[in-house]
Amino acid sequence: MGFRKVAELDALRDGGVTGVEVDGVPIALFRMGNEVHATHGICTHALAFLKDGYVEDGTIECPLHQGVFDIRTGRALCAPLTQDLATYAAKVEGGAVFVDLDSASESPSDAGPLEEVQVAENTGGSSLPLVIAGAGQAAAAAIRAARAAGFSAPIHLVGAEPHLPYERPPLSKEALGDAFDRASACRLPPADVAALGVTFHPGVRVTAVDAEARVATLSDNAQIPYGALLIATGGTARRLGIPGDDLPGVHHLRTLEDAEAIAASLASARTVAVVGGGFIGLELASAARARGLKVVLLEREGELMSRLLPPALGAAFRRLAEAHGVEVRRDVAVEAITARDGALALATTTGEIFADTVLVGVGLVPETALAALAGCEVAGGIVVDAFGRTSVDGIWAAGDCALHHVPLDGRRGRLESWRNAEEQGAAAGRSIAGDTAARTEKAPWFWTDQFGLNIQMLGVPGTGNEVALTGTDGAAGAVYRTLADGRVTAVIAFSDAAAIRAARAELVSDTPFDLAAHGARLLAPQETNPTPIDPEEDDMSASPDVQFAKKYVWPQEGLSIIPDWVYTDETVYQREVERIFHGRTWNFVALECEIENPGDFIRSNVGPTPVVVARAEDGTIHVFENRCAHRAAEFCRDLSGNAKEFVCPYHQWSYDLKGNLVGVPFRRGVDGKGGMPKDFKPADHGLKQLNVTTHRGVVFASYADGMESFPEYLGPEVLREFEATFDGRKPKLLGHYRHSLPGNWKLYHENLKDPYHATLLHTFLVTFGLLVAGNKSLMLADPSGRHGVMASAKSDTTHIDADKKKEMRAYKEGMTLEEPRFMDFIDEFDSPWSVTMATIWPNLIVQREMNTLGIRHIVPTGPNEFIMKWTMFGFEGDDEEMTRHRLRQGNLMGPAGFLGLEDNEAIKFVQDGMLGVPGGEHLVKLDPGTEAGTADTLISEAAIRAMYRHWRDAMGIA
Amino acid sequence: MLNPSSANAPSRDDLIDALLLKAEVEAFNEAYASALDEQRLADWAEMFTVNGFYNIISRENYDRKLPVGLIYCENRGMIRDRAFALEKTAMFAPRYLRHMVGNLKVAEAVDGSIDATANYVVFQVLFDRPDATIHQVGRYIDRFVREEGGLKLASRICIYDSLLIDNALCIPV
Repeated sequence: MGFRKVAELDALRDGGVTGVEVDGVPIALFRMGNEVHATHGICTHALAFLKDGYVEDGTIECPLHQGVFDIRTGRALCAPLTQDLATYAAKVEGGAVFVDLDSASESPSDAGPLEEVQVAENTGGSSLPLVIAGAGQAAAAAIRAARAAGFSAPIHLVGAEPHLPYERPPLSKEALGDAFDRASACRLPPADVAALGVTFHPGVRVTAVDAEARVATLSDNAQIPYGALLIATGGTARRLGIPGDDLPGVHHLRTLEDAEAIAASLASARTVAVVGGGFIGLELASAARARGLKVVLLEREGELMSRLLPPALGAAFRRLAEAHGVEVRRDVAVEAITARDGALALATTTGEIFADTVLVGVGLVPETALAALAGCEVAGGIVVDAFGRTSVDGIWAAGDCALHHVPLDGRRGRLESWRNAEEQGAAAGRSIAGDTAARTEKAPWFWTDQFGLNIQMLGVPGTGNEVALTGTDGAAGAVYRTLADGRVTAVIAFSDAAAIRAARAELVSDTPFDLAAHGARLLAPQETNPTPIDPEEDDMSASPDVQFAKKYVWPQEGLSIIPDWVYTDETVYQREVERIFHGRTWNFVALECEIENPGDFIRSNVGPTPVVVARAEDGTIHVFENRCAHRAAEFCRDLSGNAKEFVCPYHQWSYDLKGNLVGVPFRRGVDGKGGMPKDFKPADHGLKQLNVTTHRGVVFASYADGMESFPEYLGPEVLREFEATFDGRKPKLLGHYRHSLPGNWKLYHENLKDPYHATLLHTFLVTFGLLVAGNKSLMLADPSGRHGVMASAKSDTTHIDADKKKEMRAYKEGMTLEEPRFMDFIDEFDSPWSVTMATIWPNLIVQREMNTLGIRHIVPTGPNEFIMKWTMFGFEGDDEEMTRHRLRQGNLMGPAGFLGLEDNEAIKFVQDGMLGVPGGEHLVKLDPGTEAGTADTLISEAAIRAMYRHWRDAMGIA
Repeated sequence: MLNPSSANAPSRDDLIDALLLKAEVEAFNEAYASALDEQRLADWAEMFTVNGFYNIISRENYDRKLPVGLIYCENRGMIRDRAFALEKTAMFAPRYLRHMVGNLKVAEAVDGSIDATANYVVFQVLFDRPDATIHQVGRYIDRFVREEGGLKLASRICIYDSLLIDNALCIPV
């Protein structure tokens, strides 16, 4: 056959692998500069395409089982390979690549030892070390990000404290209670220090920097030349600067040791004075009250946090503290502290106060001396850009010591928060590694736990903003929005993570906040005080939310680890029903074509809860609980039907098609005796009715009032795929499958957010060569992380000649389908994708597997089992052959589907594994470059991580 | 009616023919059940005619005249593909199955084909628990034709009463 042109040289990535087909034979082309090598495109071990493999040092690593071949000789270099790879002669002429399938490449025995191939590494232009001054959370984030981005030079971590990096939020929370485990706060465990190639210098500071020569001098006199220096020195707790501020019993909070000292002092104190009414001061006061101590909080200003929040919000925090027994005194400055009679006496501008312990929380002084010494611009914090770069070349800064890179509420400021330390650290790490891709800006986010509430704040409130409140002021569920010119600048939610989720859209919305539509009211700066709760009866440890939050703590590694209890715990499951299925979600309940006519109804479920979906005489659709308002009987027993009314068989209470109570037998008794009380109003005793919305013939219900519209709920990207399937044609019901799956319901979402499994578990397609090389694909996650779409595009096989088609169907000898036409794709959709699996939170999968269309409706029945109800459909106007094509293709999916049964089995295996070996955790680390969200590779678990970011938020799991 | 004294009584020969036919169909069903119990799926596929139709459909769908089936094959090629794919590519946990067929009713149609119905029960044993579970309960609606090798199924529709499938249906019924 001789040499055949197979590609343009320019189309091949240097140092990479590209797949082509020559006469139906898959070929892998490897470009090394202007030289090209060709091998067979399929691994000799298992059926995997080498074009998806990883090229390194003149070798190709198979994507499936990490077998390695020599690119030039095809030699199998390691287990599990036992057979060499075929090679083909290849040459480059006139910018084109030619391959001869009939002759092998130059004799392998002549090739001799392989030359070292230079591999591009990211050292940010230098192989000199990265030196990090300061070993806090930002440092840990920077190390991980730098290594993830390919940074390969040594890293020196220089920390003044004796500890590896740890996070500080627990210091004012869990660490002040009993049974705090130091290790749980660690952000860079010893194993990671080793794995990430970090040299740790504990108890040492960077004392000097020569920015010209790029040398850092340490307090132990060591000198380290650096390629990059990251200043992450954090800060120190601000002192009062008054006589006696260093007496024993006067505590500041910054380090683990500080927290342990405070915990010890609280254990023996009876009265506590907290100086400073910021978040730290309030958390300290909360911890002291949780121990039943008498607490006085002293605030210098006229309202708490007046430099951070509008007065009405500061007042809300104050009243929360007051309601839990804290005595808050405002406009009070402490002038001196003295020890007297075994206690501490605080001389203040309004008189003397006695306390056993004084806790000072008056802010942080950023540690910027080193930066200033190195010549970096400092303005109340180290000035950095979005990549963490300071004004001096080779020096980065991140965390509490650095300014935010854009003005907040009109001024440059620092964000002393966990999130900021993570993000600035990671940005610096990536930048140091040479990754300067811009990342999407996220609104600042912050949380505080106090007085039994988890309070989250998203956005930047202006101190002069108006404040709108929904819910009860100071109680769980209260949501405060700060408004500037009517637009939302920040949302502060008291134990309502769902509100924070919704707030992301509000913060970027161009339309003014509609008070009436949200049932919100503007707060006056001064509202009346609620009645204080009797301190003796105030047992905060009894709050179920707090107990839950203490018991269920996400692993410190973050989203790349999922603990088993997420899938197996009954308490977690009950909370999912309450917060997710009965929370702020749109739940699938029916297709409109199932309830075509007035009186038509079906039984359905919202989460585990049985509901009836009915069409009333006026054509409107109603969803109500299938539970009689009288004695709870599940009254509707038929799967579907047509009715004029619903009558509970037990006592004949009757309801109309909207769920209103119509008739109560013997309501007025008999002969003036018995019957319902006189004030009984049927209107107050209807069935629990849910909110309903429809979109393109699909019916959804929600327990939550004031839900966003369904298109808003999906977001534009997922909506586009939803509408590509429900394209305006009227769906036509083809039938149902129902099966029970012995696994947790979330595993089903995960399976469809996990493109990694597709070719590994489902060998059907690969074996029969039905998976065509070069298929396009995408794993989309919506910005909230809850929805997703797994999509792929089947190559158009109708334009491939018969020989080639035959080749594609026979990658393994003897394995051909007798009736491959059931795999045909009739392109009936306005979409680039031939297959989409849309996971729509929380209970719906929309399957468009070429031409077989289905709704999968998740009905959880407990943590370890769920029911899946499939509703298969076509469209009005399908002719008989099209319907039969859909039915034939249906063999792929469902409880007996070629692909479907394997998914069911895999989910069972996962649950079995957890139940058999409890207390473990799952690893979802694939594709660390995308922390969570849409992935540009299928070898990714970023969409699963995005789902859990959302889930934790909805569940209130920190 | 097996009453020889009634006016339109079938002759003894007719009765014997009917019994022989029933025995033949019974023997077929036993062989069919054995092929599935022993997971000889290639043999199972050959029990259908070239244009044999095979569908496993829920009673819910069947009663409402909705066509969707768990396994839907329009000819023996599709049935062979199913058998081949289950044996060679499908991943599922190992299991034992017992197919029980009873309450057979047989009627010969004018064109020589044979219509029959029977009840079936499938027991399943998984290796992670000791008990057998009733995996599916249903009814066959069959049409047999006589070919050179004996009876073949021109159509078998398996209508299952059990509303929920326990996880997955891996072996046909």
